[in-house]
Amino acid sequence: MILYDYILSPDCYKIRLLAALTGQRLTLQAVDYHPGGEHRSAAFRMLNPAGTIPVLQDGALILTESAAILTYVAAMSGPDWLGEDSPQMRGQVAQWLAFAHRLSASIGKARSHDMLQQPADINACRRAGVACLQELESALTEQRLMGFGYLAGARPTLADIACFPHAMLAPDGGISTDPYPAIRLWTRSLRALPGFIEMPGIHRLHELKPEPIGTAGQD
Amino acid sequence: MSGDPILDEWYPVALVSQLGPLGRDTRLLGQPIRVYWGTDHQPQVSDANGRALPVTCRYGHVWTCPGTPSRPLFDIPEADQPGRRLVDVGVVRVKCSPLRAVENFLDIAHFPFVHTDILGAEPHTEVGRYDVQIRDEVDEVWATKVQFYQPQAAKSAAGGITTEYMYRVPAPTVAVLYKTCPPRPGEWDVITLFVQPLEQDLCEVWPWMALFDDTTSLTDLIHFQQTIFVQDRSILENQLPRLLPLDPGMEIPTRADMTSIAYRRWLKRRGYSFGAQLVAA
Amino acid sequence: MTAAWTPVALARDLPRLGVMPVCVDGIDVALWRSASGRLAAWADRCPHRGMRLSHGFVRGEALSCIYHGWSYGASGSCLRIPAHPDLEPPEAIRVPVHRATENNGVIWVALGDQDNTPPALTGLVPLRSVTVQARAEVIRSASGLAIGADGIARGHLASIAVAVLMQALPEGATVLHVLAEPADPAALIAASRAVEALRRAAESKGAA
Ligand SMILES: N[C@H](CCC(=O)N[C@@H](CS)C(=O)NCC(=O)O)C(=O)O
Ligand code: FES
Ligand SMILES: [Fe+2]
Repeated sequence: MILYDYILSPDCYKIRLLAALTGQRLTLQAVDYHPGGEHRSAAFRMLNPAGTIPVLQDGALILTESAAILTYVAAMSGPDWLGEDSPQMRGQVAQWLAFAHRLSASIGKARSHDMLQQPADINACRRAGVACLQELESALTEQRLMGFGYLAGARPTLADIACFPHAMLAPDGGISTDPYPAIRLWTRSLRALPGFIEMPGIHRLHELKPEPIGTAGQD
Repeated sequence: MSGDPILDEWYPVALVSQLGPLGRDTRLLGQPIRVYWGTDHQPQVSDANGRALPVTCRYGHVWTCPGTPSRPLFDIPEADQPGRRLVDVGVVRVKCSPLRAVENFLDIAHFPFVHTDILGAEPHTEVGRYDVQIRDEVDEVWATKVQFYQPQAAKSAAGGITTEYMYRVPAPTVAVLYKTCPPRPGEWDVITLFVQPLEQDLCEVWPWMALFDDTTSLTDLIHFQQTIFVQDRSILENQLPRLLPLDPGMEIPTRADMTSIAYRRWLKRRGYSFGAQLVAA
Repeated sequence: MTAAWTPVALARDLPRLGVMPVCVDGIDVALWRSASGRLAAWADRCPHRGMRLSHGFVRGEALSCIYHGWSYGASGSCLRIPAHPDLEPPEAIRVPVHRATENNGVIWVALGDQDNTPPALTGLVPLRSVTVQARAEVIRSASGLAIGADGIARGHLASIAVAVLMQALPEGATVLHVLAEPADPAALIAASRAVEALRRAAESKGAA
């Protein structure tokens, strides 16, 4: 399974994260998205005419939407992540996979504007990003009132993986996450999952490791 | 010369390889500037009044000076050494003082916490003694004999090694580091941070590298360096005060911060205050 | 000097080993809870190089800064400097500490000395905290909540009795900490949606 990947892309990271959580091996093919703009090249468009990353290639199969790639990786190596316990859960997972596109188009765009100087109507992106975070916060609050810690129920699913990266990285695009306690607790639970991996801008929870004792610096 | 120590410096304002036909509208020291291709097919820079500014192209970047250059652009002799790969890493914008960005680059004590399992890892957190000088003959800050244990010192490193570093500040918004080169003992990899000060609390950072590494793909080298720098970005955007305090009192340095102490003292001595806070608030 | 208590969070939103940024009278505060459950409210700035401590991490009874890992104990004094593992940190390195207390599921912070206790809010369960881009007066008039003798806004949202604590933020924003009478999840969810509706109403009123 080859993932055409960019280390700073939240939409690529969600694939790497799910693969790490499910034990799926990926062959990473780094795309020179910035500064090279390789995703716009003629060669890359042979693979994905839309000129976007991530792209997953497995034999003859090529997938170019992160929601589809997540679904495929989960089906291959971690079917529990599909969230198929009930019709309700399936509906919710589909809901959040679609919602994640709004996150990419708002928070993701604000971030690539502020960080990589890509063109955007920054105020419109930030307004839309705040609206997305408010919806996410409300949904997570309702889940908590029902005794659930995750977007589609009591356990994490693709719904959470799809929305987590942009929610964490909103400050990179000048959108504060301080006002959202339910989002803070939820991202914390996801970061504590066994097998969790980080990306630049999302630090690991150092508290999960004990304080080193005694004199350090020696092997 | 204009006599203003801030205006008379050279600043990076574009990557030569990325300067498109439409040029680049950007800012320098709070003023708009434009970088574009001249009729002689050389990059040119002009200020808001259309005045042409001095231009030098070196180390993959376009450099300009809004005043009268007090000296030629600093030299990195390794850039011309055969066998090195020169890597344009691209730009990352950071909402922080340009001087905070440089100071962070000179710091190793944060490696285990910010670049965990790459440039450092607990329990290997100790920073031993090293040497720091302000070299008057070249008017640069140098730190040498800096040693640190690193789990993955470079893209080409196979496992943990103790890396030796030298740091050099040849201009107020430029830092150069030299580090042990895993595939080529005896040589130093060169990694730089060229900082374009847009405003006192906003900058664009252009990392650039001259490495001995024949095996790693160029894209992997770029991504390794972007990873490291973007890990620093959320730190830099959350330091208070936003401007770098040049007077002691606001912040508490330790022996591990000797390079930073020398850098602040050197800035103050030169009267370089763009992005700096001079009085302890 | 005595200062007023400011409600800053619902206790449920700050679990053990958690740290979060809050704002009290325009001052940034890192609010955190130790492994044993002890609550602390500190200046949100590491004395070393000024990094926000609310980005840090809690191990046991200490808060560590994310930048260079300096850790600080209950009194705010520096316990450990990882770059110098054998060094006993000087007494002078300490983070300014504020008063924090927890009362009926609400966390309160005071910047000065404080002898009295924050108002009691018995018989209520935490609902949620919501940040509104409007001043307290605008929110009050949009909500129809009445202010009681204890200074707390009370009334009904989606037919559920609520108490709303207001925390002023800089630049005219307000955090609402909402508590509700115990009810089944469906009723509480309806109340949570009514809080969102109140936010939208107050924000459009404030913008008008
Ligand atoms: N197809 C969407 C696209 C994700 C997306 O927008 N990716 C960005 C990079 S993070 C991209 O490729 N942008 C194309 C461009 O900037 O031209 C997905 O997989 O979620
Ligand atoms: S800034 Fe907090 S440890 Fe250095
Ligand atoms: Fe760093």
